[in-house]
Amino acid sequence: MLESLPDGQSHLDYPVIRVAHIYSSLLNVAGDGGNLSAIEHRARWRGIATAIVPVEVGETPDFAAFDMIFIQGGQDVEMAVAADDLQHKGFSLREAADQGVVIFAVCAGLQLLGHRYIPSSGAALTGIGLLDLETRAGPKRFMQHAACEVHIGDRTGTVVGFENHSGLTELGRDVRPFGKVLAGAGNNGVDGTEGAIRDNVYATYLHGPVLPKNPWLADHLIQIALERKVGRPVDLPRLDDAVETSAHVAALNSAERNRGRRTALEPALLLRTRRPAPEWTPPSSSFR
Amino acid sequence: MGAFQPNYIERSRSPKRALAATPRLVAALVAGKAGGRLSRLLGRGDGTSLPGLIARKIDPDILDSLVRRTGMPSIVITGSNGKTTTGRLITALLRGEGINARSNAAGANLAQGVATLAVCDSDLLGRQPDGLLVVEVDEGALREVVPELGPRAVLVLDLFRDQLDRYGELHAVSAAIESIADSLPAEAAWIINADDPLVASLAPDRRGRRVTFGFDLDRSTDHLTRAADSIRCPICRTDLSYDRVFLSHMGAYACPKCGFARPPLDVAVTALEMSGIAETKLTVRVLGTELVLRVPQPGVHIAYNVAAALAVMVGLGIAPVHASETLAAVRPAFGRIEVIQAGDKRIILGFVKNPTSYNTTLRAVDFAPEPRQLLVAASNTPVDGEDFAWLWDVDFEAIAPRLERVTVSGTRAPELANRLKYAGVDPSRTTVVEDRRRALDVALAAVETAGQLTILAGYTPTIELRGLMHQRGWVGPLRDA
Repeated sequence: MLESLPDGQSHLDYPVIRVAHIYSSLLNVAGDGGNLSAIEHRARWRGIATAIVPVEVGETPDFAAFDMIFIQGGQDVEMAVAADDLQHKGFSLREAADQGVVIFAVCAGLQLLGHRYIPSSGAALTGIGLLDLETRAGPKRFMQHAACEVHIGDRTGTVVGFENHSGLTELGRDVRPFGKVLAGAGNNGVDGTEGAIRDNVYATYLHGPVLPKNPWLADHLIQIALERKVGRPVDLPRLDDAVETSAHVAALNSAERNRGRRTALEPALLLRTRRPAPEWTPPSSSFR
Repeated sequence: MGAFQPNYIERSRSPKRALAATPRLVAALVAGKAGGRLSRLLGRGDGTSLPGLIARKIDPDILDSLVRRTGMPSIVITGSNGKTTTGRLITALLRGEGINARSNAAGANLAQGVATLAVCDSDLLGRQPDGLLVVEVDEGALREVVPELGPRAVLVLDLFRDQLDRYGELHAVSAAIESIADSLPAEAAWIINADDPLVASLAPDRRGRRVTFGFDLDRSTDHLTRAADSIRCPICRTDLSYDRVFLSHMGAYACPKCGFARPPLDVAVTALEMSGIAETKLTVRVLGTELVLRVPQPGVHIAYNVAAALAVMVGLGIAPVHASETLAAVRPAFGRIEVIQAGDKRIILGFVKNPTSYNTTLRAVDFAPEPRQLLVAASNTPVDGEDFAWLWDVDFEAIAPRLERVTVSGTRAPELANRLKYAGVDPSRTTVVEDRRRALDVALAAVETAGQLTILAGYTPTIELRGLMHQRGWVGPLRDA
C-alpha cells in the first residue's frame, strides 16, 4: 500500500481527481457511499488525490468541470424530490456526458438519467434523457445477490452486487447494457441485460456497494477519468487486492445460489433449481 | 395527556369471557408445548419460537383465541431499535407495581415467537394467569400479529433504515404501522417517540389516547450525519431544521415550510449523564413529576428506552411509583453491551444489527483507550438478512486508528474485512476466521491478561458466541439473560 497523501495534494504526475457526488444526502441508501470511498482510497493508495464535492438540491455547478460524477440509490419518496431538481442539472449533465466525463449511476440514479420512470399509480417522473432507457414500476421487488459479465474496452470482468428494485427498465438503441446477467434479475428480469453504458457513463442496478468488491471496475473508472484529464494513456500501479477479491468471491458465491431465480422473495431453500440465465439478445426497442 | 387516566388494566380484570377450548386448540397446545420441551431436551435451539410455530400449524387462530378473545391485556412494542431493551424495562416497571407482566423471549418477535409466549403461558385448556403480556413485534409481522392480540397500548420506538432487503423501504414499514393505528380502539394508548419525525407524523387523525416521549435537553447529544434516515419533513419533504439533535435523526425539529414540528412531550428526559460503560443517570419528567433514575446500562439510546417505558405506564394509567428501585436493577438484555468476565480477561459483548445500533454501540463502548482489540462478526441468515451494504454506513472510520487487532468472523466475514480495509484498518491488523469458536479463541489470545476484548456481532453470531461463552461458564444461559 502506498503512503497516503494529505487532502488537496496529489502525486507529481497526476492532478487531483474532482468528483461530484450528486444528492449525497438525498440519494444515499444501501451503503452506496462506499463507492466514493473505493474511488478515494484506491486513488490515494497510488498517490493520487481526489476532491469529493457534494452537489445537493438547488445547486447547479458546471458538471463538465468535474472528472467523475456519482448519482446513486434512493427510496421512492426521495427519488421524486430528486427528479424535480435534476431537471435543473440536466443540461449541464448531458454536456458533461457528451464531453466524456465519467458518470457512475446506481439504481434510482440509473432510472433518473433515463427518459422517465412510470410508477404503478400517479404521474410519471421525468428523467433527463441522458441515457436512452425507460423504467416502469413492476409488481415485484427484486432483492437478491446478483452478478453480471461486463465488457469494457478490451477488458471482460465479473461484477457482483446486491439488487433491490421493483422498476423494470427497457434499454433503447443509444445505450448498450452495462453487463450480461449471470445471476439475478438485471434490468427487468426478462431480457438478461443489466444496467446501461454510453460514452463514459456507466449505470447499474447493483448496490453492495459495488465498487469496493469489484476493484477492477473502480480502477477502470479512475483510469479513464485520469486519461481524459491528462490526455495520455495512464498505467495504474497494481494494488494488493486480496481482501477485495475475497469479498468479491463471497458475493459471487451468494449470487450463484440465486442463478435462474427471478427474485429472492421466492422460497430460497425449496426452489433451488438451476435454470440457466436467459439468453441475452441486443435490445431493439427505442424510446426516441 | 395531563394526568394519569384511570387504570384500565384493573378495569379489564373483570371476569373473562370463557375460552371455548376446542379440540383443535387443545391439540395445538399439547403439540406446541411438547415440541418446545423436546427441542430443549435435544439441546436444539432455546425453544423461543418452536412451540408457537407448531401450535400455529395446528390451529392458525391460536393467538387470537388465547389473547384477544379472552381479553388478556397486552402491550405491543415495535420500531427499528430498542424493542427488547424497552420490553425489559416495561416488564420490570409493571412488576414493580405488582402486575404479573410476561414478555416474549428476546428477539423472538415474529408471529411464532409471539404465539410461543401465549402457548407457554397457558395450561392445556388455554387458561392463563392474570396479568399482562409485553410483546415486542417485528415491523414486518405487525399486520399479522397485532389484530390477533387486540393490544391496550402500542409503542412505536423509532424508525431507522433497518435491513432494507427484508421490508423494501422505510415508508412501507410506516404504512404498516399506520394501518395498525387505524385498527386500534380509541381507549387503546398510542405511544410515540416525538423526537423521531417519521414516527411523530404517523396516524395524525387517530382519535384516542396518545402519549408522547422524547428528550427535553438544552444541548445536542449527537449531530446529523449524511446517513441519518429521515431528516426531511414527512409531510412536505422539505429539509427539517433541527434545533437540537439527540440521536441520529431524533431531536427537536421543525419544518420551515409546512410547520410540522415536534409535538409537546408528555414524558421527557430532562437530564442525562453517561458514566462509563456500567451506568446511565437520567432525570425523566413524567406528567410534571421529575424522576431521578439510574440504569445499569450505557448509552443515549437507553435514555430513550426508559422514557418510552415510562410513557407506556402513563398510557396504561399506572403510576410508576417504584420506578427508581426497579430500573436500577434491570440488567442489559443479551448482547446489549454485556460486560462478561472471561477468565482473566474481560469481554464487552455488543449485538449490532444495523448502522444505527452499530454506531450507538460503538459510541457507548468508546471510552479511550478502548476498544483496541475487536472481534466483529456478521452472518447472512434469514434473521440477519442478506444485504450487508449498510456496513458501509457504519462509522468504523472513527475507531479505526485505535484498533490494534481485529478478528473478523461469520459467514459475511469477507465483506466485513473489506469494509474495515476501506475504513482505514490495515489488512495486516485483520484476521479473518469464519468459524465462531476459533474466532473467539484467536481474538482472546491476542488480548493481554486483564485486558479487554470488544465483540460487535449480528444476531446469529451473537447467539453463537454467547452460547460458547455459556459453555465455558462465563455467562448464564440465554433464556436468563
